[in-house]
Amino acid sequence: MFAEKVIELLKEAERNPDTIDPFNDEKIRQILEEMHLLFKMNMNDANATNENKSLWTTVQVRHSALERNKRCLLAYLYDRMKKIKTLRWEFGSVLPPDVRELLSDEEYQWFSKYSTNLASYMRSLGQDIGYSGIDLTENLKPPKSLYIEVLCMADHGKLELEDGDVITLKRNSRHFLPTAECQTLIRQGVLKQIV
Amino acid sequence: MSNYLSISDILVSNEKVPCKFLHDLPKMGFLDPSAADDDLKAGTNVEIPLWLAESLQSRRPPLVSVDLPKIYKDAYREILNADACTVDMHKLGQYFYELGCYVAKHDIKGEVAATLENTFKQRFRMLLSASVSTDTLSTMQPLSASERKRAAAAASSENALSAWLQRGDCPLTTANMVANHRKRKRAEMEMF
Repeated sequence: MFAEKVIELLKEAERNPDTIDPFNDEKIRQILEEMHLLFKMNMNDANATNENKSLWTTVQVRHSALERNKRCLLAYLYDRMKKIKTLRWEFGSVLPPDVRELLSDEEYQWFSKYSTNLASYMRSLGQDIGYSGIDLTENLKPPKSLYIEVLCMADHGKLELEDGDVITLKRNSRHFLPTAECQTLIRQGVLKQIV
Repeated sequence: MSNYLSISDILVSNEKVPCKFLHDLPKMGFLDPSAADDDLKAGTNVEIPLWLAESLQSRRPPLVSVDLPKIYKDAYREILNADACTVDMHKLGQYFYELGCYVAKHDIKGEVAATLENTFKQRFRMLLSASVSTDTLSTMQPLSASERKRAAAAASSENALSAWLQRGDCPLTTANMVANHRKRKRAEMEMF
């Protein structure tokens, strides 16, 4: 039956809607092979329709299968693209190496370009009224207080605050920090707010 | 074409529908598992995926005529109209509503559309109770794929509302994908 491999690929993506899977280039290669084969068979039969008129029905069936494969592959790539976009907003502009290796080379290029585009857009915001840009990935929730108490979830190293103080973020240490300076780290899972 | 890039729509159109071929198809014998011939003869009844059926039916002249899957036929329709809540949609048709929307246009009498609506009306109470129930395993079991999604969405907004009512405060949290990536990595680590 046609287009079965590509369904396996999509089911895999559907199973994990909240995380990104490793780019499955092996399966994509197999699907493209199937498509090449279908195309070649169609070319042969299309040339032969002059002698045998009944072949045109077969050509149409294969053509439908080709279109189906194309649609599924595009959907797979599009779904990944949406997830990669989310990666930029949630992990920040630098991906941890274990996430980086889940993307294909082309996808990583796209990520870098998206990241650059987003950064230059955020820098351009508010320039006409004298501000030098605004970071849209911050303050996704309305801030309730200037300072919050946080618990450190991982060894992160040193963090320099805006007033010049340097603190060391060690696992299980507690800090009382300005909200503006630690919310990115909270979103990245390094810190956790204590309420 | 609507939903061209939607994965769930692709999975719906992968469901099989019974079809009757109106023309001979040389070399396509493998579409019919019971046929020994290389060629598929006109008049054969085969179950093929919806996407293939739709695209072959829209050709000029149409290559197939599409029939209703059995769950939309009279026998099941009577069950659904009597008491839709007793039906285990997960087993019978994961994509009952979505597939129904597609095949409704092949139903000459136009009864499928009414059945779909009626079924949803009857099952709505079940859906509501599934979304507030704590025993998720047994209440979610008989729901179809889209019903499960609805119930999960209802449950999470219910939780969000009660959290907001109690505290009126929303602590900053780890981003969704970051948290899930961690969880998954930890699960993989434990496996080895």
